[in-house]
Amino acid sequence: MSLPARTLPWDWHEGVIPRNAKIDSTAYVETSFSFRFFRSELDDAIEYGRGASTYLGTMFDVGPRGRVRLGDYALVHGARIICDSEITIGEYALISWNVVLMDTYRLPANASERRRELERVPGRDPRIASGDVVARPVRVERNVWIGFDACILPGVTVGEGSVVGARSVVMTDVPPFTIVAGNPARIIRPMSQQEMNGANAQ
Amino acid sequence: MSAGESGKWLGGALPANVRVGMNSVIIGDLAFKRFHSRQPEALCVGANCTMDGVHFDLGDAAQLTIGDYCYFTNAVLLCELEVRIGSYVVVGWNTTIADSDFHPLAPAQRVADAIACSPLGKGRTRPPVVKQPVVIEDDVWIGPNAAILKGVRVGAGAWIEAGSVVTRDVPPGARVLGNPAQIVGEAK
Ligand SMILES: CC(C)(COP(=O)(O)OP(=O)(O)OC[C@H]1O[C@@H](n2cnc3c(N)ncnc32)[C@H](O)[C@@H]1OP(=O)(O)O)[C@@H](O)C(=O)NCCC(=O)NCCS
Repeated sequence: MSLPARTLPWDWHEGVIPRNAKIDSTAYVETSFSFRFFRSELDDAIEYGRGASTYLGTMFDVGPRGRVRLGDYALVHGARIICDSEITIGEYALISWNVVLMDTYRLPANASERRRELERVPGRDPRIASGDVVARPVRVERNVWIGFDACILPGVTVGEGSVVGARSVVMTDVPPFTIVAGNPARIIRPMSQQEMNGANAQ
Repeated sequence: MSAGESGKWLGGALPANVRVGMNSVIIGDLAFKRFHSRQPEALCVGANCTMDGVHFDLGDAAQLTIGDYCYFTNAVLLCELEVRIGSYVVVGWNTTIADSDFHPLAPAQRVADAIACSPLGKGRTRPPVVKQPVVIEDDVWIGPNAAILKGVRVGAGAWIEAGSVVTRDVPPGARVLGNPAQIVGEAK
C-alpha cells in the first residue's frame, strides 16, 4: 500500500492515520489519538466501511499481526480494541463508551512467563505488553449493540442483531437476536416477535 | 432552595437554566460538556452539595433534581427525561446513572438509528428510545463503579455496593450487590 500517512484537519492530537488504515471517504475518525498504540504491519490492517465512525476514547491497541474491520455505519463510541489476530465489527453495530473488545490476554497465564514479559515492557515505546499468547478472533456481527463498559473476551462471537447489556462480561458466544447481560453474561431472552417485526417492546 | 447566595461552578458561569443552592459547589471543566437541556429549570441542585467531577449529560428535554448535602465524585449522570435524587445521597467514583438506553432494542430500528447517528445521517430523525425516570431517595449510598439503569427507584437508606448494576427497584434500607444486582441484606 502506498497511501501516505494522513493527518486530520480537525484533530487536537498531533498524530497521523497510519498508511495501512483504509478509511472510506464517508467515514469519520474523531482523532488520530486512537492510533497511538497501533503497530500492525499488515497491508490491510484497518478498514472503515461507508459511514463508519470512531470517537474519542477508541483505542486501536493492535499488534503487528492484528487486523480490524469496521462495517458500513458501524459506530464505535470509545472502545479499547486489543487485537493480535482479527476483530470484526459488523455493519450497523453500535459500540458504546468504555467497551473492551479483546482477542488476546497479551500476557501469559503462567506467572513465571508473565514475569519475563513484564520485565520487557519498560524497554518498549509505547510501553505495551505483547507476549507470545494465542489470540482468538472476536466477531461482533452486523446490527449488534454493546452497552457501555461491557467486555468481550477472546474467541467470542456476538451474533447478528443481539444486544449486550451495559457492564456485561461476555465469555461465550451469543446467539443471534438475543439479549444477554450480567457478569458473567447470561441470556436474558431472545428478541420478541414484536421486536423482530421492528416495534419496540414498550 | 434557600434564598440568598447561590452555589457555583468552579469551571465558569453556570448555564442559565441551572440552579445551584447555597454553599454548593460543582468542580470539573467537563461538568457541562454534554449539557443540552432546554427546560427552564433543567438542573436544580440543593444546598451544601459537593459535585466533584460530575458529568451532567442532559438531553433536550431532561430534568434533573438533586437535594441537599449530596456528595458525588466523578459520577456520570445521563438524563434524557427525569432523574430525581434526594438529600444526603452519596454517589461514588465512575458510577453511571441513566434514565434511557439511548438506542432502540428492535433490530430493524437499530439499523435505522445507526444510519441516523452516522456521518451520512445528517438530517435524519432517530427512532424513539425507551426513557423511564430514575428516582433515588434520601440517604442512599452508592459505591464506585456502579450503574443505575432506566426506570429504577432506589428506596431511602439503601446501600448499593461497588460495581453493582441495578436494573430493578431497590426497597428502602436494602443492601444490594452484583451484576445484575441482588438484594443481599439490609443496610447497617
Ligand atoms: C440490555 C438492556 C438494553 C435491556 O433492556 P430491557 O430489555 O429494557 O431490560 P429490563 O430492564 O427489562 O431487564 C430484563 C432483565 O435483564 C436484566 N438486565 C438488564 N440489563 C442488564 C445489565 N446491563 N446487566 C445485568 N443485567 C441486566 C435485568 O435484571 C432483568 O432481569 P430479571 O428479568 O431477572 O429481572 C438494558 O438493560 C441496558 O443494559 N441498557 C444500557 C444500554 C447502554 O449501554 N446504553 C449506552 C448507550 S449505547
